[in-house]
Formats: sequence, structure tokens, C-alpha cells
Amino acid sequence: MQKGTAGAIQTSAVPFLLSLHPLFSRHQPRYPLPPGFPRVILEAMKKLPCLTFVILFCACYVSAGAASPEQVYSKAITQARLQLPDDKAAAGYLGIGRKSGTIMLGDIDADIIIVEIFSMYCPYCQRHAPATNKLFDAIQSGTFTREKVKLIGIGVGNSAHEAAFFKKKYGIRFPLFADANSAVLNSLPGVRTPYYFGIRKDGKSLNVFFQQQGAFDDVQTFLKTIVEKSGAPSGGKR
Amino acid sequence: MNTSKNIVLCSVVASICIFLCGAADVSSSDALKEGIYQVGKLKPVDSTLKVKLGDRAPDFTLMSLSGKPVSLRDYRGKKNVMLSFVPAAWTPVCSDQWPGYNIAQEEFDRFDTILLGITVDNIPTLYSWTKSMGTLWFPVLSDFWPHGQVAKKYGVLRSNGTAERAIFLIDKKGKIRYIDVHDINKRPPLETILNELEKLGR
Repeated sequence: MQKGTAGAIQTSAVPFLLSLHPLFSRHQPRYPLPPGFPRVILEAMKKLPCLTFVILFCACYVSAGAASPEQVYSKAITQARLQLPDDKAAAGYLGIGRKSGTIMLGDIDADIIIVEIFSMYCPYCQRHAPATNKLFDAIQSGTFTREKVKLIGIGVGNSAHEAAFFKKKYGIRFPLFADANSAVLNSLPGVRTPYYFGIRKDGKSLNVFFQQQGAFDDVQTFLKTIVEKSGAPSGGKR
Repeated sequence: MNTSKNIVLCSVVASICIFLCGAADVSSSDALKEGIYQVGKLKPVDSTLKVKLGDRAPDFTLMSLSGKPVSLRDYRGKKNVMLSFVPAAWTPVCSDQWPGYNIAQEEFDRFDTILLGITVDNIPTLYSWTKSMGTLWFPVLSDFWPHGQVAKKYGVLRSNGTAERAIFLIDKKGKIRYIDVHDINKRPPLETILNELEKLGR
């Protein structure tokens, strides 16, 4: 699990908080005050030892929920670097000015990016491949979605050749990237193929607002759900 | 005082539990949900090859999933053969190796090659496992009893009774033309196999 900021603070605060309490301070040394820890709370805790545990409880509770899956995924996806596929249409579709090299998903010219995490070796992805083409067609057939939404696939644990093989085998009409060393997959805890992300571009940062494990049933419903959840002002159009 | 201590200890335990529950929510294993047994990282190779390039491939007869015995000699003079040993059913890398080959039948046909998938599992286990992959176009053979005898003949039986993740390419004359005893924790890339298949046709 990747720890968020609150998690890191909690890691340093727990021994410190425990060491304040008379029950524990007899057996273990005092730990240094974590940077930024409010003095007022420290004084209050010295006078009211039980307050230590209330704060400890709250710190643990907050840290447990601090790094939500969406935050972890957003951070990982923002930082992911992918090699442009050897696919003449890919750069043009994605609005990337060059035809080779490494890109980040933030480079894609879109307000909403739908990412399918797949693998050439995944039987579910193989069976679901025709549906992903239908999703691409649905995106391209709507005025709003054609302008604002881009669909890509990331072949986790797949070499460039394997991702291209999958693309050719199923006639996939949208760009498929390779994640040969599974760097992307390893940064997305709990994700298994196929997996879908809806990502909103907010300036330079990417935010995951939608995620789904497994195949979707109805293309139109799936796309509509993503557009609505994105909060994009589609004006009711798709 | 004891009551106070109990409350304090309960608070600590509850806090830790909540923290751990939060962590588990993000990192829970997807593979376990699919019925795959996590083996962890294994010693990359744990056997010693008993064959080498250019050798005549040791013949064998194994029971296939279809209920018919399959012998290596059946293909001599007719087709190239790719033996794909995988360690065991229901384990992570193995479970997503053959499904990849399953969509590459045209490539194997193009190079006039039959793929024979082999594990040391028994037929019922192989039946359940391969069913989850869809319909496989190639024979799946059970090297279960005498346990791992074919894997042993080729020198790819590991010390724990599973097979290596190994590939042997055998030409129509029955000679071994390519051997890859792969790191058991990794999947051999498809392009490497296709390149070697292409060489067989030359």
C-alpha cells in the first residue's frame, strides 16, 4: 500500500503519542515531537492522559481513510510514463505532437480519459475486446464525447509486441500502450484485468473519478455513467 | 484503575484494527478473489537440464485432457512441436500464459507447429483450470503419474515436484532446436517464441 501524507504523519506520531501516556512512558523512551505538532494539544495531553488515546484513535482513523484508492490511483496514473505505440493513428487521436517517445497521460488532449487496464494473456479481456471497440465507436459517435473523451488501453505485463498483437487480433481501434515491466500495474494496488478508470484532467493533475473491476454490460450506460460522474458540463449531450 | 487500563488498551487495539482495515481495503489481492493461489516469489530455476540443443527429444506418451493419450512421436515428420511446461495449475503466472498462446493459433499454424501444454497436475485439476481459460485449441497433457516423469526426462522437474516454466521447440525430425527454462516468476514474451518458431521454418 502506498501511504499518503496523513499516513506518514501517523507513522511518526504514533510512537510519540504512545510515549506520552504514563502507562507506556514507564517502559519506553520519549520520542521526539513530530514536526508541526501543535503545542497546545501537547500541553493538554500532559494534563489529560486519556486525551492521548482519543487523539491516537482519531489519527489512526484519519490516516486509514486518508489515502483512498482514488487518491492512490490518481497519483499513480498522473506519474505513469508510457511509450507511444508504434501506431500511426495513435498520436493524432491523442492530440500528441510527436509520433514516438514517452508520454504521460496528462499529455493527452482530452477532458476525460477512459483507461482500460488489460492483458493480452487475460481471457476475460480477450472475450471483452469487441465490447471495447463498441465503446470507442460510442465515444466517437457523440458530439460531446468525440471532442472531450479519449479511450486508451494499457496492456499490463505486456511487451509492445504483445499489446500490438492483441490490437491486431481483435482489430482494436483505439491506442493500446504496453506496460512491459508492470510498473503501472504495480502502482495500482488491487487492480486486476480488465479494469476501467474514468480520469478527469484538472489542469495538470489527473483525478480518478470512476473505477470498475471487470467488463461492462451495456456500452451506452457505461459511457453515460462516466460522463455524468466526471461532472463535465455536457449540456445533456453525449 | 483496571477499568481505565482496559479502556485504554481497547482504544489502542481498536485504532490499530481500523488502521489495518483501511490498508487492506486498498491492497487486497485480486488474484485470491479469482481462486488463484499465491505462491510468492520462487527460486527462478530449480532443476538441471538433461537435454541440450541438437539432441533427439526424449519420446513420451501422456494422457490428454480430451481423454486420449498423446505421444511426441505422433508428430514426427508432420509438425514442429512446442512443449510448454508450466509449474502448476491455479498459480499466478501459469494461469495467464496459455490463454495468450490460445489467441495465437494462426501464428503456430503459420509455422506448422503444434503446441503441447504440460503440467504435473492430474486431469480433473487441469479440466477445472483450463475451463476458466476458455476453449484451448492445443492439447493439454497431464504429467501427473508417475509423477513428473516427462519433466524429469527433460530435466525440468523442480525439487518440490512442480515443473519449471520451460519451452522446448522440437523440429519435424524430432531434434531439439530451442530451449528456454525461464525464470518461473516471469512469463516468456510471445515475440521470443514467435521468432524461434520462424527460425524452425527456415
